[in-house]
Amino acid sequence: MNEVLLLQGLVGGIVFGAIYALIGASLNVMVGVLRVINFAHGEFILAGSFFAYAMLMGLGLNPLYAVAPVAVLFFLAGYGAYFVLIPRLQRSDEPETSSFLLMFGVSLMMIAVLTWIFEADIRPVNFSFDPINVTLLVVEDAYGPGRDGRVIVPTARIVALAVNALMIIALTWFLYRTLTGKAMRAAIMNRDAVQIVGIDVHHLSATAFGLATAIAGVTGVLLAMVVPSVDPNGGPPLALVGFVVIVLGGLGHPVGALLAGVLFGVVEQVATVMLPQAAAQMLGFVILIAVIFFRPSGILGLAVSR
Amino acid sequence: MSDTVLEVQALTKRFGGLVAVDGVSLEVRKGQIVGLIGINGAGKTTLMNCVNGIYRSDDGQVRLNNADITRKTPHEIALAGVGRTFQVPRTFRRMDLIDNLMVPLLHTDASDADLTARAEDGLRQVGLYELRHNHGEELSGGQQKLLELARVIMLDPELILLDEPFAGVNPSLCRIMLQQIEKLRDASKSFLLVSHDLTSIYRLSDHLYVLNQGEIIAEGLVEDVQNDPVVIEAYLGN
Repeated sequence: MNEVLLLQGLVGGIVFGAIYALIGASLNVMVGVLRVINFAHGEFILAGSFFAYAMLMGLGLNPLYAVAPVAVLFFLAGYGAYFVLIPRLQRSDEPETSSFLLMFGVSLMMIAVLTWIFEADIRPVNFSFDPINVTLLVVEDAYGPGRDGRVIVPTARIVALAVNALMIIALTWFLYRTLTGKAMRAAIMNRDAVQIVGIDVHHLSATAFGLATAIAGVTGVLLAMVVPSVDPNGGPPLALVGFVVIVLGGLGHPVGALLAGVLFGVVEQVATVMLPQAAAQMLGFVILIAVIFFRPSGILGLAVSR
Repeated sequence: MSDTVLEVQALTKRFGGLVAVDGVSLEVRKGQIVGLIGINGAGKTTLMNCVNGIYRSDDGQVRLNNADITRKTPHEIALAGVGRTFQVPRTFRRMDLIDNLMVPLLHTDASDADLTARAEDGLRQVGLYELRHNHGEELSGGQQKLLELARVIMLDPELILLDEPFAGVNPSLCRIMLQQIEKLRDASKSFLLVSHDLTSIYRLSDHLYVLNQGEIIAEGLVEDVQNDPVVIEAYLGN
């Protein structure tokens, strides 16, 4: 086994895993608090990516500068969109099914809008930091005597990982240390009980929708820094990753989703460098099926909940 | 000035063709414990759900301190001063007990330390302080009922609706529950109490209503209702 390749995969796994963690945690907040199966979550992420792309192309600004405006604007958009989209659904007998169909429609609509504005091509996000790459580790004689191996990471990925880590810490703090965060977790556990203790569940849900949308948008910005390209058709695979991470981490456990996201990313990326591509793509889903069979409440759900 | 806290006037709730609550009127005065009894399916819980806004009534009116709350949402009614517990406790299962009691304090303007102290005090009152770091799901059914009562107290409501507070609760926890209810009554809190445990409800109630097939069939002091032939027939049949 090539040690350098393995370490390279591990580092890539942590970078992508952190992104998957944010996707899973934001989707978990949305599914948990609102009972909304947000099939458009991938497009919410893509919208953030395209926002960063537009700032780069229009204003020449590094995508990093898109983080703050995307967080604010997407929160407001999500908060407002809640009142347009969701309350009617919650009067339905099966809000989950209705929401799935509605958000599938929203997903198609957003793909159409992105394609209309940016066209269907995959666009490179051309930007760089100085230095472009950072050597994390030198493995002496990795490829034979005198031939060292280097674990190299683009600086943009390190910056994205740092922002990502800050967001994970902030989200965890918010959910576990603030009263609004506790109320959101309580709503995930029992929506009726939250209402009868004096909490306006619509305002709370709209805040959760705004929060999840803002995180999705920022995740999109970070994704544009990590990949770095934008594709109007790239949303559904991202939503799929989000749902996989939720199942792995446990529905209703946003922090479980954070940990599961990192795990999924590491497995996927390490497998990508160590196994044939098709096998690597399959491995994450094999784990998913195993978890559904053997730990249906999520691989980390119980441990995190305690 | 009237000391009526809750006034229900000709309240009706239908589910399709079924009239679950049929023109019910009742009142609860300040510091009074009003019992509501009736066989299964009589409409007791439906009535409570209409009072605290979980169900929209089809007809009639609910007034709290003379203000109409009939069309208000559950959270507005809770903030207006109505607390509620459920037959099957609805605690926040994967949260520790302190956080369970802090959730109702979302709109309270106080420091984290003050809020924690209030929550701890609430747990002490119902004898759950030692378990404060446990999660809701780790409590027995009876303990969860006490936790729900403590959660209600956090909002300092004027009126407390208790739905089967003694069902499935062991005798020692029942004693704590009874003591708490009496203590709150002494602090001028009012109660609408639904229970199948007639011993407890007879002991606690200042006034009793009997509901049968959605209608009030008797009301009055405990002694009067106990001996009412209509009530005996409704409970035991001919």
